[in-house]
Amino acid sequence: MQPQGQETKKGLKTKHAIISLTIIIIFTAGLYLSVPYVIDFFRNPQIDLGQGYSFEGYSILDIQVMLLSILLYTAIVLIGYIIYLLLTSSTRAGLISEYRTKDLSIAKFQLEELYENSPVPYLTINKNGEIKGGNKSALRFFGVVPEEISKKNFFAFTAEEDKELGDRLLNFFKADSPIDKQEIRLITKENGVKWASISIFLTKDSVTREKNGLVTVFDITEQKHLDQAKTEFVSLASHQLRTPLVTIKWYTEMLNSDQLGALNEKQKDYLNKMYLVNTEMIDLVEVLLNVSRIEIGTLAITKQKTNVPEMIDGILVELASQIDKKKIVFQKRYNDVLTNVNSDPKLLRIIIQNLITNAIKYNKDGGSVTISLDEKSGIGQSSISVSDTGLGIPKDDQNRIFSKLFRAANVKDVSNAQSTGLGLYLVKSVAEAMGGSISFVSEENAGSTFTLRL
Amino acid sequence: MEPQTTTQDTQNADGKDVVQSTAQDIAQGDIAKKKILIIDDDENLTTVLVDKLNFSGFIAESANDGVVGLKKALETKPDLILLDVIMPNMSGWETLEKLRIDAWGENAKVIMLTALDKPESVAHAMEQGSTVFIVKTNYTLDQIVEKVKEVLLT
Repeated sequence: MQPQGQETKKGLKTKHAIISLTIIIIFTAGLYLSVPYVIDFFRNPQIDLGQGYSFEGYSILDIQVMLLSILLYTAIVLIGYIIYLLLTSSTRAGLISEYRTKDLSIAKFQLEELYENSPVPYLTINKNGEIKGGNKSALRFFGVVPEEISKKNFFAFTAEEDKELGDRLLNFFKADSPIDKQEIRLITKENGVKWASISIFLTKDSVTREKNGLVTVFDITEQKHLDQAKTEFVSLASHQLRTPLVTIKWYTEMLNSDQLGALNEKQKDYLNKMYLVNTEMIDLVEVLLNVSRIEIGTLAITKQKTNVPEMIDGILVELASQIDKKKIVFQKRYNDVLTNVNSDPKLLRIIIQNLITNAIKYNKDGGSVTISLDEKSGIGQSSISVSDTGLGIPKDDQNRIFSKLFRAANVKDVSNAQSTGLGLYLVKSVAEAMGGSISFVSEENAGSTFTLRL
Repeated sequence: MEPQTTTQDTQNADGKDVVQSTAQDIAQGDIAKKKILIIDDDENLTTVLVDKLNFSGFIAESANDGVVGLKKALETKPDLILLDVIMPNMSGWETLEKLRIDAWGENAKVIMLTALDKPESVAHAMEQGSTVFIVKTNYTLDQIVEKVKEVLLT
């Protein structure tokens, strides 16, 4: 194809040269023929119009011939020029189209190479969904040679579990609806099943103009297995980690209940400590599982009517021992709002509990914590703020305070503050997953205010 | 094991973390001596649950998998079944489904026990006619006894 193109181009170039040469010859010949008359005329310009209408040395006839030859010359030049324009424009067009054709054939070649060697499997199907052909990647995906899939219906490769979806997609395609990133299981050679994300673009056959489909079959099997493994891990972890903790919890409770015989004060004290540490462990497992759920994207959000003041009171009862220990003074600015908020109570509890726990943990002894609830009437935005009079967050650490496993430099000063670096990360992730936001203002050694907007 | 009725009211320092068993916790009247079957593969958990329920005035016994549990349930027809969800051989859901086929089992009282707290699990339990769902980590033994009494009285 390419040598042929070169030959044509060569021919066109020769044609162009011949035409140009011919024009030059005609032009030169015309000039050669008419020049002597012009020179003669200017050499003997003595024209006496007073002597019987004649020029000296020239009769009126001579002048006529001379004028005619000048006219002829002009005509020749004009005609030559027009012919030149006509002929060269056609050859020029020929040359341009030849260049364009060459560009196109290169582009087509590159496109074909790209199609054939693309890592993404491509198939072309006719209007009924029957496979017309596929690239190397598609053959690799199905583990077949072209003959094995040719003329078979693409949608018949849907795995048993997704038959219904396959039929639906075929109907979509027949109804000219484009199909975008549908996740479906497909049968490959030897009854293997692979997960694919398929998209179908509608095209037309270049010859018959009939409807065709270009199918991209993105192999997502690996990704699906990974997702599955992650989900299973969280399930397994939540079961396996919690069961022994529950066992400890119940046995400690049983021992401490005196139902098996009375214990002395010291023994009771020890058991209580075991119970508390175990409860902390249960909470930590809960936090880790929630972090995993967020990262895997399996955190379920179920919004319902939620009474925030009641929830806060419940949290404060749970944290009573910590509050008493540090002699924290609590101030509530509830303004009789947020008793009926549409939110996920379990997730909202995680956020508020974390904020209040931090406000206590990083406060000074005898410090105060203020909880404010606000509701902007009209726009329906609710906000929950927790302020403390504690350590505050150093300026340098403020932009990283919501990062996973990050702990502010000054929390190491608090000997008793156990910190995982997960609390605020979880707060922000959960808040955003619920469609809310979290912000804060803080000054070192003065305190922090965290505000959750729902 | 005879239930003890002499436990004293011992409030712990926090007044909340360890809920104390008191004389009031012991089942009396209508619900005393009710039969409770616990089906859970974790023997450590069933041991302490059986003890707690027995101390609380019920007659509790356990089965350590779904197959044995279902057989025992259909034989002894307990007043209440505490059923774990994740078990080898036959899961709690399967056990529940098979139980519901039986003429007696159809209306038997069941509380599902689980270590997980997925909302879809709760929905599943509702569908199967078990409206009470206990996430083990969230409950103390005393709270379980409360729940058991509540369900037996309904």
